[in-house]
Amino acid sequence: MVKNPYQPINAQIVDIIDESPTIKSFVIEPEEAISFKTGQFVELTLPGEGEAPFTPSSSPNQTAQMEITIMKAGHVTNLLHACQKGQPVGIRGPYGNGYPVDMFAGKEIYIVGGGVGLAPIRSLLLTLISRIKDYKRVVCRFGAKTPEDFIYKETLFGQWQNIDGLEIKLTVDNANGKWKGNIGVVTTILKSDDVNIQNAVAIVCGPPIMMKFATFDLVKQGFKPEDIYLSMEKNMSCGIGKCGHCMVGKYYVCKDGPVLTLKQLKEYPDIWD
Amino acid sequence: METFFLSRLRPLFDVIAEQRELYVPHSEEGHFSFTRYDSSQTREIEFNELRLCQPIKQFLFPLREIAAVFPEPTESPDIKPFAIYGLKDCDLRAIQILDKVFAEEEFCDPSYLQRREKMLIISSDCYNPSESCFCTMMDGDVFPQAGYDLNISKIKDGYIVQAGSDKGLLLLRENESLFADVPHAALSERDENRVQARKQLENMLADYQFDTPINHIVNEGCQSDIFDNEAKGCVECQACTRICPTCHCFYLYDEKQKDYYQKMKIWDSCVRLDYATVAGGENPRKLLTNRTLHRLMHKFVFFLDRYGIQMCVGCGRCIDACAGEMNIRDVLKKLYEESKVNNSKLKNGQKSVPTD
Repeated sequence: MVKNPYQPINAQIVDIIDESPTIKSFVIEPEEAISFKTGQFVELTLPGEGEAPFTPSSSPNQTAQMEITIMKAGHVTNLLHACQKGQPVGIRGPYGNGYPVDMFAGKEIYIVGGGVGLAPIRSLLLTLISRIKDYKRVVCRFGAKTPEDFIYKETLFGQWQNIDGLEIKLTVDNANGKWKGNIGVVTTILKSDDVNIQNAVAIVCGPPIMMKFATFDLVKQGFKPEDIYLSMEKNMSCGIGKCGHCMVGKYYVCKDGPVLTLKQLKEYPDIWD
Repeated sequence: METFFLSRLRPLFDVIAEQRELYVPHSEEGHFSFTRYDSSQTREIEFNELRLCQPIKQFLFPLREIAAVFPEPTESPDIKPFAIYGLKDCDLRAIQILDKVFAEEEFCDPSYLQRREKMLIISSDCYNPSESCFCTMMDGDVFPQAGYDLNISKIKDGYIVQAGSDKGLLLLRENESLFADVPHAALSERDENRVQARKQLENMLADYQFDTPINHIVNEGCQSDIFDNEAKGCVECQACTRICPTCHCFYLYDEKQKDYYQKMKIWDSCVRLDYATVAGGENPRKLLTNRTLHRLMHKFVFFLDRYGIQMCVGCGRCIDACAGEMNIRDVLKKLYEESKVNNSKLKNGQKSVPTD
């Protein structure tokens, strides 16, 4: 009997963490452990309402529970934000390719993120940190609208600031008096000065407008299109490369992505919308 | 494979209908559609000289169906064996395309697989191609090449039945008493009919001779104003994608039942404005031009890149169905002519390529 790819695994929301005024993380416990590669995504079903694609923000090493960070953006996410602990949900997946972390070994990894785009990046960072010596160094450039809007504040301002081989620089669009860091959109902190671009890969994940301008900047700095990895946000309904909604050119973002290189995408129009 | 001869189809179809739900063509105002076979009737079964109006996908991939039930999964409903008569070469090639998507990839669609397995395919030759047909431009022909269990060719005194699969051959052998010897010259009559039908179609398509592969024509023309003009006539009714035997977009939605939930699968269309819109509101194909282009690029370029075949079988149903009178053959022709002009300008050393 062929396995039904549309059948969700029953799961439950066991904890909810407020990350920012519009973003919450949900700790989800599926009835069967789900293993995934960092950067792959799952379809999360709110029973009777609908489902939506999310990349887990937790480490792939943790399979009994999974964390999913969700911004209020549409029908399902608005309803999820109103849910309480104990809410039954469903999970299908994992789907897609994830980040090729083994191919990054020995390289400098330059990560640009913004807003809720830090969700997949958190899972990636947890993976990279667990084997940080495999990489030359990991450089992060993250942006948010205001200091309040950063997610994962505790680790971002705490633990992650003190890891050898991991360098994080932050910026906000607007700030009050307490903010000591940079003010401006993320491209204002993208100068990669001491990064050896010939031996580096760039990873970009964030709102479409940020991804667009950050990518242009990286290209200008000399990153090769095949070394720029983009986490694409598209309308992914089936998750298995059939329903057609997420197509960008010949690629099904759900199956060939959600991580695609600029080299794969650059010939197609409107990849940023 | 072996050929058999019948003077009337009824006796064979009565046997088939005992074991399966059988659907046969029925004409209304010059169009053919499927109807359930009625063995109480004695009138001979209609022979559709051209393809039916309805696309074959409706039997394999219904408009709406239950994709999953939860939290307690249920067994998928048992699909009864069924047979479809009157499919043409274009329909068989459409099945081949749907198989690539639903039956051959890493994730197979269980309901599609079940229906596919339970389907007996009885195809037939075309004798009178429609004015919108263009299968020969898409590597098709006026008689089935492959993919059938039985194929039926009509000749003056009856029907030649040819087996195309072990399943079809077994069925014929089990009912050998129904058949007579294939009359002398019957096969040459069939072949002559095929040649005539092919000639008729080729005459109708005389204006559409391209010396460049269609995927190149569409790919090179993807910036063309032709798509803007074509989009102007489109009323976004989605008929083209609904009636297309190869279009297979769908979306999943959730429903609450009394004491369980279900995930439903329903046909969708890339022509629809919000088809690709994400939760935040971004839409990569806001303009109808972009959506018109995407539909053609998917059919002629992207699907070919991915699966090695084009996603158009040249059945012409979209041409018949279009309320805006968009004719996919004419679009290809306009793109082809424009590429000729542009290429000759390039050869003459002009730097820019004006599109007006």
